[in-house]
Amino acid sequence: MDLELLPEAFVELADTLVAGFDIIEFMHVLTGRSVELLDASAAGLLLADPRGELRVVAASSEQARLVELFQVQNDEGPCLDCFRAGQPVTAADLSSESRRWPHFAVTASQAGFAAVQALPMRLRDETIGALNLFRAAPGPFDRADVRVGQALADVATIGLLNERTLRRSETLNEQLQSALNSRVIIEQAKGKLAERLGVDMNDAFNLLRSYARGRNRGLSELSRAFIEGSDPLADLSAGPARPSRQPGQPPGPPR
Amino acid sequence: MAGDGAGGRAEAIWGLLAAHAAGRGAPASVADVCAVCVATVGMSGAAVTAAGKPGPGHVMCVTDEVSERLEELQLTFGEGPCVDASADDRPVLVPDLDAADVVGRWPAFGPAARLAGAAAMFSFPLQIGVIRVGVIDLYRRQPGPLSADQLGDALVFADTATVLLLDRQDQAAGGGGGTGPGGQPWLLALRRAEIDQATGMLTEQLGVGIEEAFVRLRAYAYAQDRRLADVAGDLVARKLRMGPEPDPCRDGAA
Repeated sequence: MDLELLPEAFVELADTLVAGFDIIEFMHVLTGRSVELLDASAAGLLLADPRGELRVVAASSEQARLVELFQVQNDEGPCLDCFRAGQPVTAADLSSESRRWPHFAVTASQAGFAAVQALPMRLRDETIGALNLFRAAPGPFDRADVRVGQALADVATIGLLNERTLRRSETLNEQLQSALNSRVIIEQAKGKLAERLGVDMNDAFNLLRSYARGRNRGLSELSRAFIEGSDPLADLSAGPARPSRQPGQPPGPPR
Repeated sequence: MAGDGAGGRAEAIWGLLAAHAAGRGAPASVADVCAVCVATVGMSGAAVTAAGKPGPGHVMCVTDEVSERLEELQLTFGEGPCVDASADDRPVLVPDLDAADVVGRWPAFGPAARLAGAAAMFSFPLQIGVIRVGVIDLYRRQPGPLSADQLGDALVFADTATVLLLDRQDQAAGGGGGTGPGGQPWLLALRRAEIDQATGMLTEQLGVGIEEAFVRLRAYAYAQDRRLADVAGDLVARKLRMGPEPDPCRDGAA
């Protein structure tokens, strides 16, 4: 764990919670910081939809997103086990886990991941999601790393409840649906921008994200304005210039 | 309702809706959604309001007099769970209309709703990302929260009402969209990012708004007898392009 980065990361997350708060951007910052702080190559965050499915809400890389999605769609993997048990699940070497997760072990290794640590997002007695850390090299996760990882998962829960007090237990479900719908809005905007600029979805997302950051706009709010036509993202329409990579942005392939 | 994940829940609910509609001898409508939702989720009544933008909507159906009164009251006072659900794009869950914070939140509507006979209200926006078509309001004569299962069911009923209202708008506009009775199963609860991305892409390819893009995507899948997720996947992978016009599945009625 990079101790020097730790206070900075928490300050940034706390800051995100206040100014122009956007839940999806917040979750993306959180997965990006998890990778930087902890001994991880990628991170992903899942939330439980009361309809009965886990949804991938943020990931530090496209590989992590796909591996998370694979687990949800195949109903198998450490993140699902973690969510169901409400307990951390760890696999130091996925090459020896083919009996536990026959499909996931293969997919994860094809994506370049050898070890995984899944941490529950908990609120009182309820498990509402999971933060998952993937690493390219096999080996156990450092205990201090796991503790900080759990703290980051708890921060994600707090982020979900931001703006609203917890007097009412209904608040969580209202916020959760709002967050899940924000994710849909961003996907719709990614599609529109990808088509307009002739770029892929990952580039479209990075462009949207850096545009929103550069103008201090909420990612979901900007995405909505783009789709509804009230903000044409004029500067972006000029050409598919790639955004310069910032520390919190999703990196490319796993390190 | 027992449901094996989101797909199982959605399929079970669609089965109930199809059976209810068949009993009436008509295609499934929001009226079926209201009736079956009330029975399945254990509510006293339901109402669906159609509205594209936040603000007063058009009441599409109510299951009883109390539901009608609750809609009337919200329209009259311009406040209430339905108004907030529409303005904030999020569900508004009020398990006890007598709770201390309700009067502060809706000073006129809160007491009037109690007087009308409602003790709990649950409002769900009918939305898919930026697409929004209205709100479904549920009420119960007894206070109390929704169980996790009831909440899941209510959300799937809201998803179904969203699609039915979109189809209705499309048909009213002369479009050929919609799945019709016996059409594809309503697996919208099994959300796929590709469907949302493809919908966004179609706004550009077809030069239409997001609601129409979504209807056209579904109409295309239906006309080609393909799964929505597969068509969306092809669009995202750029193996398929639609439009600008004429659209093959619309007989030139673009």
